Amino acid sequence: MFSFALKNILFYKGRSITTFILTFISAMLFIVFVSWQDGSHNSMLENSLKIYTGAIEIYHKDYRDIGGNEYLIRDAKTITDKLSSIKGIEAFSSRYETYGLLSSKEHSAASMIAGVEPQKEKLLSSIALALKEGEFLNENSGNCLYMGTELVKKLKLSMGDEVAFVGGASDDSFAADIFKLCGTFKTGSFEFDSSASFVSRSYFDELMYAKNMASYITIKVENLDDVDRVNSEIIKVLDDENLESLTWKTLMKTMVEAMEVDNVFGYISLSLFLVVIFFVIMIYGFINVSSRIKEFGVLKCIGLSKQNIFSLLFYEIFILSSAAFIIAVPLATYICYYYSINPIVIEGIAEMYKDYGIVSDEIPFDFNMFTIFWNIGVIYILNFLSILYPYFFINSFEPIEASRHV
Amino acid sequence: MYKLILKMAWKNLFLRPARTLLVITMIAVSMSMMLAIQGLYDGMVKNMIDKNKRSDSGDVSLYAKDYRVEKDIKYRIKDAEKIKENIEKIEGVEAVVLRLRAEGLASTARKSSFSSVHGIDLKEEEHFGAFSEFLKEGEINFKKRGAAIGIELAKTLKVRIGSKLIFSAQESSGEINSIALKVRGIVQTTNIGLDSNAIFIDIKTLHEFLGTDAADATQIAIMSEEINLAKLLKAKYSNLEVKSFLELQPMIKQMQEMMVIFNSITFFIVMSVVFIGIFGVVYVSILDRIREFGIVLGIGMQYKYIRAQIFLESIIVGLLGYLSGALLGAVLLIYLRDYGLDLSSFSDALEMWGYEAIITGTIKVSYFTTTFGAIIAASVLSVLIPLRKIKKLNPIEVIKAEK
Repeated sequence: MFSFALKNILFYKGRSITTFILTFISAMLFIVFVSWQDGSHNSMLENSLKIYTGAIEIYHKDYRDIGGNEYLIRDAKTITDKLSSIKGIEAFSSRYETYGLLSSKEHSAASMIAGVEPQKEKLLSSIALALKEGEFLNENSGNCLYMGTELVKKLKLSMGDEVAFVGGASDDSFAADIFKLCGTFKTGSFEFDSSASFVSRSYFDELMYAKNMASYITIKVENLDDVDRVNSEIIKVLDDENLESLTWKTLMKTMVEAMEVDNVFGYISLSLFLVVIFFVIMIYGFINVSSRIKEFGVLKCIGLSKQNIFSLLFYEIFILSSAAFIIAVPLATYICYYYSINPIVIEGIAEMYKDYGIVSDEIPFDFNMFTIFWNIGVIYILNFLSILYPYFFINSFEPIEASRHV
Repeated sequence: MYKLILKMAWKNLFLRPARTLLVITMIAVSMSMMLAIQGLYDGMVKNMIDKNKRSDSGDVSLYAKDYRVEKDIKYRIKDAEKIKENIEKIEGVEAVVLRLRAEGLASTARKSSFSSVHGIDLKEEEHFGAFSEFLKEGEINFKKRGAAIGIELAKTLKVRIGSKLIFSAQESSGEINSIALKVRGIVQTTNIGLDSNAIFIDIKTLHEFLGTDAADATQIAIMSEEINLAKLLKAKYSNLEVKSFLELQPMIKQMQEMMVIFNSITFFIVMSVVFIGIFGVVYVSILDRIREFGIVLGIGMQYKYIRAQIFLESIIVGLLGYLSGALLGAVLLIYLRDYGLDLSSFSDALEMWGYEAIITGTIKVSYFTTTFGAIIAASVLSVLIPLRKIKKLNPIEVIKAEK
């Protein structure tokens, strides 16, 4: 049947070329589109993870849902000591976050102020790397403030300027102090750069009356794919029902959901092309079969079974699809690989879509062989489905009737 | 004669009904899907534009110079009330509102977040953009320091109807001041900036809180269909910053442009593939009847009548496909317009991005007219190559040839 199918392909050139070209187009379109979509989503997630959010974060239960000082972690050291023994954790640190008003001589703005452990923070996030002016914090920075560039602009500050802070301490009393601007950062995330500022924990703990307390403990894992296993291990080791350890998938649930929505719309658009191409491949297959009714009738008369007919049609579409994939897949794979290393740059896209959390003008593709394989699988399935109607059509004829067909 | 040709074309079409029906189904399915996708995407952008205009910028907005950069009430429009009265007198202006905005910190007993308080006149906002339609929960009531809060900000602060919150900001004299507000309503404007930051209160209350003159405002928003209004106001109020909707929302402008490009590419690809489909069927149909054409040419039928018959066959298939596609597409579009696509399971993400959980589509006559033109063009073009084959026929040779 295989060689018979091969002969048919070579004989009915028009149908073969059309099916080949359309399968080639669908495969290229599908692989490149999915790679671009996945790549841009991964990049958004990675950028967000790199900036500040940890791969895993440990909270006191209800801190995220209800909030308030009674849900602060009270004995951060005990937890961090336990974390040291867990395999797969690259770094961790406790953070104390609060919101308050910062005022320069003439201007005021609300800010999230976080007390961080500077040396550990360097390993955990990219805020130290995002330094724009001045210097990042160290353990002895005292009242030094490290502030986002957009917030600096709002407050019209220069390096070394004093900034008044008013907020609430961990015991619900008022906390107020004068900070000094020692460094500014620009991560690219407009929201973060216009609202966040950092102080060394050793100083901030005194001010906020928060020694050994934490809003949460942030953790960086050695391998992001391993995050669920590490998280299970953390939950097991902590063994405390008042604590919750959450991975980035929960912490960034809205963003993950947003990517899923984007995927839904992407696949809706793509399905239009695939459906139209499916129909055309089916029509050409059908035309081909309907012009061979007599031939099939004769073959059936001399003993060709329904199974044989199916195999014949199957081999024909399999050979044509595979031939198209032999050219399309390496080409599409190369495109995905090339743009995963050299992302497409659209100048100004980050500025334009800053409200949507886009922090970079670069759009990298995702290079993942598994994804490419399932994309090919989908096109194969669609092409195989396209032979069903022609198959049923040809079998609707009795052998004698078919052999006399004009 | 042409009546007979039409009859022959019709009969020939259904000589092989399965083949013809397949092409009609292909056109119908691809066209209806394309219309539904276009309608859905256009609906998303249209909805976004409409709500952004109604909740914020209108068709044109006026600001004091530097306000949009500094976001400081120091840069407010003085005597905005008088400017508003003058603008209202301009022909074509439908509604004008004054707004006052201040940025600061919103706090509850447990949570705090950056926010901006917007002083608005409810009666005027209702006329301007039907503000009450943005209400998601509770009621719009600004009496006794009542406030309406953006849906995302409400989530961040974990506030409900009846919750109290403190808003702290710098007043006009430079001092820090705070005001206690009671959440009476939660609004969803699908304007990301407002939903995640805004607290709406009565403009008079905000004037009192900030110590500003009751006639001042940070924004004058105008609703008008008049295309040249922005130009006119730019000339008239050169001391102010006058911005049209698309100047204020470059992202939406880009989204609109991207949507046009996307729709054009989709349209071109789909129509090209449809063309290949029709071409294949017409070509095979002619090859099947090549002997028949040879005979009719041999007995003296003019080529122009055969050409007319082939054109008619192709156009009828295209028309039937178009009519089925238009019908199916219209049903889908009406459904999307009236019921929308329910993506409630992704509501958090959609709200974060400024969309509603149920996305509704839009219907434009141009969807149907453009597709009609394209399908008829594809039908006509697809017969050109098969017709060349018939034109080159030698009737005697074809009749003699074995079938």
